[in-house]
Amino acid sequence: MTWQDFKTHYLVRFWAPLPAVLAAGVLSAYYFGITGTFWAVTGEFTRWGGHLLQLAGYHPETWGYFQLIHLEGTPLTRIDGVMIIGMFAGCLSAALWANNVKLRLPRHRIRIVQALAGGIIAGFGARLAMGCNLAAFFTGIPQFSLHAWFFALATAAGSYFGARFTLLPMFRLPVKLQKIDQAMPLQQDANQARRRFRLGMVIFLAFMAWAVSQSFSAPKLGLAALFGLAFGLLIERAQICFTSAFRDLWITGRSQMAKAIILGMAVSAIGIYSYIQLGAAPKIMWAGPNAVLGGLMFGFGIVLAGGCETGWMYRAVEGQVHFWWVGIGNIIGATLLAVCWDDIAPVVATNFDKVNLLAVFGPQGGLLLTYLMLAMSFGAILLWERRFFASKASARTAPAQNPA
Amino acid sequence: MNKPSLIPSYRLDMTGEPCPYPAVATLEAMPNLSHGEILEVVTDCPQSINSIPLDARNHGYEVLDIQQDGPTIRYLIRR
Repeated sequence: MTWQDFKTHYLVRFWAPLPAVLAAGVLSAYYFGITGTFWAVTGEFTRWGGHLLQLAGYHPETWGYFQLIHLEGTPLTRIDGVMIIGMFAGCLSAALWANNVKLRLPRHRIRIVQALAGGIIAGFGARLAMGCNLAAFFTGIPQFSLHAWFFALATAAGSYFGARFTLLPMFRLPVKLQKIDQAMPLQQDANQARRRFRLGMVIFLAFMAWAVSQSFSAPKLGLAALFGLAFGLLIERAQICFTSAFRDLWITGRSQMAKAIILGMAVSAIGIYSYIQLGAAPKIMWAGPNAVLGGLMFGFGIVLAGGCETGWMYRAVEGQVHFWWVGIGNIIGATLLAVCWDDIAPVVATNFDKVNLLAVFGPQGGLLLTYLMLAMSFGAILLWERRFFASKASARTAPAQNPA
Repeated sequence: MNKPSLIPSYRLDMTGEPCPYPAVATLEAMPNLSHGEILEVVTDCPQSINSIPLDARNHGYEVLDIQQDGPTIRYLIRR
């Protein structure tokens, strides 16, 4: 295999989602074992909002929510912080390798409105539930925290309403089907592609060198940064989209991403379990109304916005301006939640138990129950898929029976 | 890369539109074609790589070709 072949097959072409999600599941288990925390992003985005408030002269470090998620240090001294910088570096390298960075401007103002509004709703809901598609779903369920199941089911319901809302005529820009007699010529600027590839390599190698050098003085930070780089490569190259996993079940009946994510959680859970058995403390959150309310808002918000807290990261560096607004919305929403947390927390969250399935049902019972529920979720998706396409087929044949 | 047999009859230009609109518009456009006609979907939404080909196949259409050229992706789908 020549370098050119390697480059085309492994660095430029998109990666298949299933292996990428499985790899993310395995990596996130190792990440927990090494850093003691789970792969998560929204907590750190909330801290960014906190730092902005500090710059504006406020003292958010005295608020309950920031005492809960800690506002000490800077993004460069926090595990979540360097991991996220790594994710951005990974996403940007991967996008540059494939010459996939382009300033994509929204076609209409309504897109900016929905990006910002959806981002705020999703950011608020995610932090209310103590996690997004990662900490309260993809890496939350493998922690055996009951709140993640509440959140996942509520997100599925919220995304259903989000899907109905997002397809309303007000969000549909007119598209016209053009009659043509030849294909549109695709011309990529070969010189630009080469320059972008080299720039991507420079960013990738420079970040890797920095992270490796960090890992000698601060092993957890350095390794977290490297994990971030890998997560970033995976989500951009395979276009891993948690939002589409929920949304497209309802809109087009596509289940590939949802199934991949369930399998990803299945490979992750046993790894997390083994670390917990060795003495690591799982991350368990309140299984209260906050998880359900937060999930409903989050599910609605991510579909309206078009992407979640993980999804906007790679789309933003690809130059999709729409998702810059989603990111800003997420940080605003998360910060708003931090502002009102002290008033609502006792009612919806902190007076409820943090339910660890491994404690309630015993280690083996909790593990078994988790796999049982994952299997049931997989089965439910298969049933939904069958029902979806059966009703489509009958809708297609119905007019034929009625020749009017 | 000349494929003279694949001449599309219609084009759907979704450049600039984010998910889920390119996939939804593609599925809505397909029934307007006659059987055997080819639709060319042009999009710069990278996520469409995981949506449009699968959706088209799931809904009974044939995906003839996918060309990725930098940020632009072109799908040729036959009804």
